[in-house]
Amino acid sequence: MNLNISALDYIQEVKTGNISAEDFIAKTIERIQSVDDKLHAFLSVNDDAINQARVIDKKIKSGEKVGDCFGMPISVKDNMCIKDSKTTCASKMLENFIAPYDATVISKLKQQDAIFVGKVNMDEFAMGLTTEFSAYGPSKNPWNMECVPGGSSGGSAVSVSALECVASLGSDTGGSVRNPASFCSTVGYKPTYGLISRYGLISYANSIEQIGPLTRTVKDTAFMLNLISGIDPNDNTTMDNKNEDYLSGIESGIEGKKIGIVKEMMGEGIDPAVLTATKDAIAKLEGLGAVCEEISFDMVKYSVAAYYTITATEAGSNLARYDNIRYGYDFPLEGYEFNSYISKARRNFGPEVTRRMIIGGFVPSAGHAGKYFLKALKVKSKLTKEVNDAFKKFDFLISPTVPILPFKLGEKIDDPVSLFLVDINTVTANLTGKPAISIPFANSNGLPIGIQLMADSMNDKSLLQAAYALEQTVSLPEVPI
Amino acid sequence: MVTEEEIEQVSKLMKIDIDNHKEYVEKVHMMINYFDILDSAGVESEEISMPEISISKLRKDEHIPFDDKLIEKLNHYKGTYVRAPKMSS
Repeated sequence: MNLNISALDYIQEVKTGNISAEDFIAKTIERIQSVDDKLHAFLSVNDDAINQARVIDKKIKSGEKVGDCFGMPISVKDNMCIKDSKTTCASKMLENFIAPYDATVISKLKQQDAIFVGKVNMDEFAMGLTTEFSAYGPSKNPWNMECVPGGSSGGSAVSVSALECVASLGSDTGGSVRNPASFCSTVGYKPTYGLISRYGLISYANSIEQIGPLTRTVKDTAFMLNLISGIDPNDNTTMDNKNEDYLSGIESGIEGKKIGIVKEMMGEGIDPAVLTATKDAIAKLEGLGAVCEEISFDMVKYSVAAYYTITATEAGSNLARYDNIRYGYDFPLEGYEFNSYISKARRNFGPEVTRRMIIGGFVPSAGHAGKYFLKALKVKSKLTKEVNDAFKKFDFLISPTVPILPFKLGEKIDDPVSLFLVDINTVTANLTGKPAISIPFANSNGLPIGIQLMADSMNDKSLLQAAYALEQTVSLPEVPI
Repeated sequence: MVTEEEIEQVSKLMKIDIDNHKEYVEKVHMMINYFDILDSAGVESEEISMPEISISKLRKDEHIPFDDKLIEKLNHYKGTYVRAPKMSS
């Protein structure tokens, strides 16, 4: 059985009876068992997945109404709640946390008969971009196992790329869906802020993070978006998208569209192979009738510092809830005073989370807020104005998703500032709330390169049309595992 | 410039107990020093814009009962109460 099929092809195959959901899920679980020892994409696997698939097959045979997913195997980043299952956030702090409810995205997918094959690895509390900060060990890049798969949704990207599921849900705070998608050669989508409910997503930096799908094709991303987007009374930041159908018209093309090439995202430090691939993508888009022109944003240079200042501040607040009384692990109370108990219990946070909490206490504090936090908010406002002005002239913005190729595990772990700069092309979409997508585009000596397209808020549909057009111009090798 | 004492003080305020203080201080230093780039952004006169949601768009302020007894899921639930560490005198 071919596990390397798109979500839409899987659904078609099951619908027409060419394959059964049970067989496909069984093969998927076998695949996880055979490759995940090496890749470490999964933190837990759903033992009941095959039984759930049998139920769906029965429904199909008896002519009952079946949800749009037809038992499609999906992996879920371990910071989204699935009722009665472990949700660890890849942290020792939550190693025994059983979610008491479903995240909205999970409820929506359950209603459509998706099967969650397991929870996947990530940087602890989504703080990182390599999965090296997972308390349970890093994931490996299926294209080269000496390299990082990107992050923080690294497990999601690895599981899709290595055929351990058909699609995955990740979360993107500063590129955490798009970065691993680029490093593992999958599609990764960060929707307009508010398009997908964050209810049941364990918070890191609420004001900019979004759940997003990782898939094999752009059409699959549009399909997933159809299922999980829309207004949610449990998340007041969600917007009514009027049940937009993101799949319809996806083949409309991009003739006559104007695309801005972001100068600051293709400058100093870019890998020559990434630069060549980006120029090639621009040429292909022009060949399809788009008009491409360079644009410059003064604030991009400051965007990473603003992003880390804002996210650390929000993280400092969000992670204050982990006092080991409401949430936490088994740690006896005896012998501790209240504050020292909390401090001791928090030793279970990993080093990166601890660092960011310290920064999150420092940058908004009296005497420092004006220098760091308020200035970061001002950079965010000015960057948003610059990008809004650009979208008066352009339909889309283009850049490489990440300016460098996947790098070796451990190569940057001791240099936080060099890690910061890997985010330079992705944080703008988060700080401004715009939708952005990473499309697998090239492969340099076996290492994937993704191209990022960005659009104005709520133009997710046209962004997917442009991404689809670009996707059709490439033919990429199969994953070597 | 951030001092080691400032970082130690913040970690205490954030209630984080750290073993290897020096290692943390070095990396936090590197990160915060990088944020100094914000000084050259020239945004002093910029207004901070925040998204606003009108009250009419918020959900009703009413109690929505939860099916499970969440309190029973806490580690230190003792049947009729939740045990917490003693408060300092």
